[in-house]
Amino acid sequence: MIKIKNLEASIDDKTILKGIDMEIPAGEVHVIMGRNGSGKSTLANVIAGNEAYEVDGGSISMNDTDITEMSIENRALEGIFLCFQYPVAIPGVGMAYFLRSALNAHRKHQGKDEMDALEFLNNAKAILSELGLDDSFLKRSINDGFSGGEKKKSEILQLLTINPKLAVLDETDSGLDVDALRTVAKGVNKFKNENNSVLIITHYQRLLNYIKPDVVHLMIDGKIVESGDMSLVEKVEKDGYSWLEK
Amino acid sequence: MIDLIKKNSLEFFNANGLPSKKLENWKFTSSKNFKSFNKSSSSIKNQKIESDELSIVFVNGVLDKNSLKNFKFSDLLEVKNLDELNDKELLRCSENFLKESMFNLGISEFENGSYLSFKRNSVIEEVINIKNYFFENGNNERVSSFNIFHINEGSEISIIEEDIKENHSIFNLKLNKFICENSTVFKYGKSFNDHSQTYSLSYNYYQIKKDVVLSVDSIITSSFFNKEFIEVDLNNSGSDAKINILNLGKDEQHIDNNILINHKAEHCTSFQHVRNVLDNKSTAVFNGKVIVAEGAQQTDSNQSNKNLLLSLESNAFSNPQLEIYADDVSCGHGSTTGALDENSIFYLRARGIDYSSAQKILIKAFAKEVIDDFSLSSLQDISEIALDSWING
Repeated sequence: MIKIKNLEASIDDKTILKGIDMEIPAGEVHVIMGRNGSGKSTLANVIAGNEAYEVDGGSISMNDTDITEMSIENRALEGIFLCFQYPVAIPGVGMAYFLRSALNAHRKHQGKDEMDALEFLNNAKAILSELGLDDSFLKRSINDGFSGGEKKKSEILQLLTINPKLAVLDETDSGLDVDALRTVAKGVNKFKNENNSVLIITHYQRLLNYIKPDVVHLMIDGKIVESGDMSLVEKVEKDGYSWLEK
Repeated sequence: MIDLIKKNSLEFFNANGLPSKKLENWKFTSSKNFKSFNKSSSSIKNQKIESDELSIVFVNGVLDKNSLKNFKFSDLLEVKNLDELNDKELLRCSENFLKESMFNLGISEFENGSYLSFKRNSVIEEVINIKNYFFENGNNERVSSFNIFHINEGSEISIIEEDIKENHSIFNLKLNKFICENSTVFKYGKSFNDHSQTYSLSYNYYQIKKDVVLSVDSIITSSFFNKEFIEVDLNNSGSDAKINILNLGKDEQHIDNNILINHKAEHCTSFQHVRNVLDNKSTAVFNGKVIVAEGAQQTDSNQSNKNLLLSLESNAFSNPQLEIYADDVSCGHGSTTGALDENSIFYLRARGIDYSSAQKILIKAFAKEVIDDFSLSSLQDISEIALDSWING
């Protein structure tokens, strides 16, 4: 699925990622944990192609296609989906219009016909119902006036509508109460299957009580210093990260 | 009476000349090209214009009385020539406008102005179209007009004004006065989509009595030079004035709004919302002022100007002002100027929407917030089409 080789990246001339190597095969859920400032969100943004970051070395490939130099939208069309840590509010752009535009951009890229409004609406309503959201959600502007929980649910609604190949969840669990956390986890579990992958970036174990990871990576100062199974999460919860520092 | 007013106005203009950039309302607007226009000759070509039952036609600023023959509501309308008016109050203009030399020039030059009075309790659900046709007598002409619209007590009137021009260079100096008597609803809309080299300078004065609901909706696209003065006097209690303006500028177009709202009585509300979208080397100016007089308690007023700059060479000058002389009021104002938000563009692109489409979505969202607030639904429809055409043009 996605292969990251010796990835180095910086922002405003400050190097953040210092050689990341990672591979997430189809059907797997990987987790990255690390302290604030270790480079987790930078990695998520660089995978999504955020132009504020400069890739200084290494490569990212999706299904053997090198996407390191690819535009943001083309990466998205190739199957990368970033669940934003802080989704932006865009007043004046309705959720329904936005979702349908995004979905149809993907369908066009896949050589499929655009989805008509009725079919789109029926699909969207079914997803909304699973997320415990009212149909009126579609009439609101993108994330405008949304609570923290609604913003994260909006991201999951988009994830399930677009159905990408790789979902990168950048601290999607932060600021959520238990009910919202369960809803988000339910959405991610519904999404994942043997043909797609999930990368979860988090500080805490609590989301991982609902979504079981296959591999856990620990990140310090722009590098992945340890990879393993769920026992790593338990160790971090208990001992923090200082045991990883030399 | 008109002759005396015209004489005084000409004296004022001759003494003051064209407005200079030293004047606050002209600080960012050059009047130097005004010199190249001469007063229009009074003889207008005998133009035959088809009009429908919901239209009132003006030709070079003068009412085409033939159009009233087809007008569905002519029995609700009383029409007089301004020369016939002897009521000082009806003819009274804004004192601020009287300090404007261009307004005085317009007063001194207009000919055959009309007074259109909707009778008491005239409730018209359909929107009346005011169609202003401009025909060429010669190039570089200045067409000055002055008309008064009187909405009498208990009436509800909706008007959409449209300018229809041949593609030639004129200076359109348009003066209007609107009088809204007690318990009236007056919805005024303007849609200018002008690709000519026209200079438009207008002065619209709204004299508002008690318990009036006034809305002014305006969309201007592709106007070469458009400077508008709006003054609203909220003279009596319980009235509500709402102004929503959307300007879309390209090339070297200049769009300029000068709005003054005078809260002179208690329990009135006013709302100004002006948005400019500027591309290429276009320029927009917003001078907005709200004055809350002593005793105008329980005033609720909000003033907002937002400018979206699509190019590094476009410019917006914003000057929102509040003067409050009462102590129990709620007044707010704000102004923002900036480019499209890169984070929003990133967000849309991260969902597979290409850069150009993301930009268009955001421009439309910015502009549509004003259109959504228009009181006239038919103007909303016209505006959405004009907006799409401007964005994709």
